[in-house]
Amino acid sequence: MQSEESRTDLGSVRIHKNVVASIASIAALDVEGVKKIGGKFSCRILERLGIKQNCAILVEFNKQGEVKIEIPLVIKYDFNVPEVADKVQENVRAGLERMTSLSLKDININVQGIER
Amino acid sequence: MRFFSVIGVLFYAVIIILVGVTLIAFSFGLFQPQHISDTLAYLQSNNNSKMITGMTGFLLILISFSFAQLILGKFQREKTICFNTSSGEVTIALSAVEDLIRRIAGIMPEIKELRPDVIATKKGIVVDLRVVLKSEANIPELTARLQEITKSKIQEVLGIEEQIMIRIHVTKIITGEDKRKKETEKEQPSIPFGGYGRV
Repeated sequence: MQSEESRTDLGSVRIHKNVVASIASIAALDVEGVKKIGGKFSCRILERLGIKQNCAILVEFNKQGEVKIEIPLVIKYDFNVPEVADKVQENVRAGLERMTSLSLKDININVQGIER
Repeated sequence: MRFFSVIGVLFYAVIIILVGVTLIAFSFGLFQPQHISDTLAYLQSNNNSKMITGMTGFLLILISFSFAQLILGKFQREKTICFNTSSGEVTIALSAVEDLIRRIAGIMPEIKELRPDVIATKKGIVVDLRVVLKSEANIPELTARLQEITKSKIQEVLGIEEQIMIRIHVTKIITGEDKRKKETEKEQPSIPFGGYGRV
């Protein structure tokens, strides 16, 4: 499923996966201690070329309309990783609930590196 | 083991056995080079056989790619430390832990180079450190300090309560002379055509 659809009196509103990924990316980068969004080499090339944005963030909608997100992160040196991960999860949850009203199932964080 | 993994392993086993049997049969003279050339000629004899051969090749490439990805993905997934929070799962790549340890070398001036290797086991985390030291360093005192700092840093930054074992292997000790030699080599820039002096 590429997007989550909700119906209003005037029609339907679809929120694409990329929108969710963008919100998650911005919310994650807002947290102190997050250096950047990680991801595979191929994703970085696609992003540089402007073909795909936020390709590293995986967004899945299940049949119940719940969202599962997986965010690869690079964390700054000297920050407590579980604390930063927890803050990212909270910030992403708050951001998505505020902007999309989607029901979130899981926000999985994958710490891929530590940089200064 | 999952169904597809079993199928994959069986597939590769069958292919390798077939190659082995063919080579053995060939060495015993059970079939001649003529048979191989006849088979190859048959495969190219009409469009149908050509198409089937091409499709088989393409399928084999696809299957090997998907299995390579499956196996590599599996290995990558295993190389992490994982814990759950109320919002979801947090996985920390062992390479991230290695990055963290590498930064410690900057804190200790006696360390010239630090190469960490982190392994996560059921009992806890095993950290292998290969270090290059400067000659003025007191090795027992320095290694004890390095073990202590590494352990406390991992516990502090990753919030891990499991047992952490740190093994240090001093691979090289660099003397002051080595350092100075390297520095002078760096300082003296080579002059273009400097070797062509006047006779």
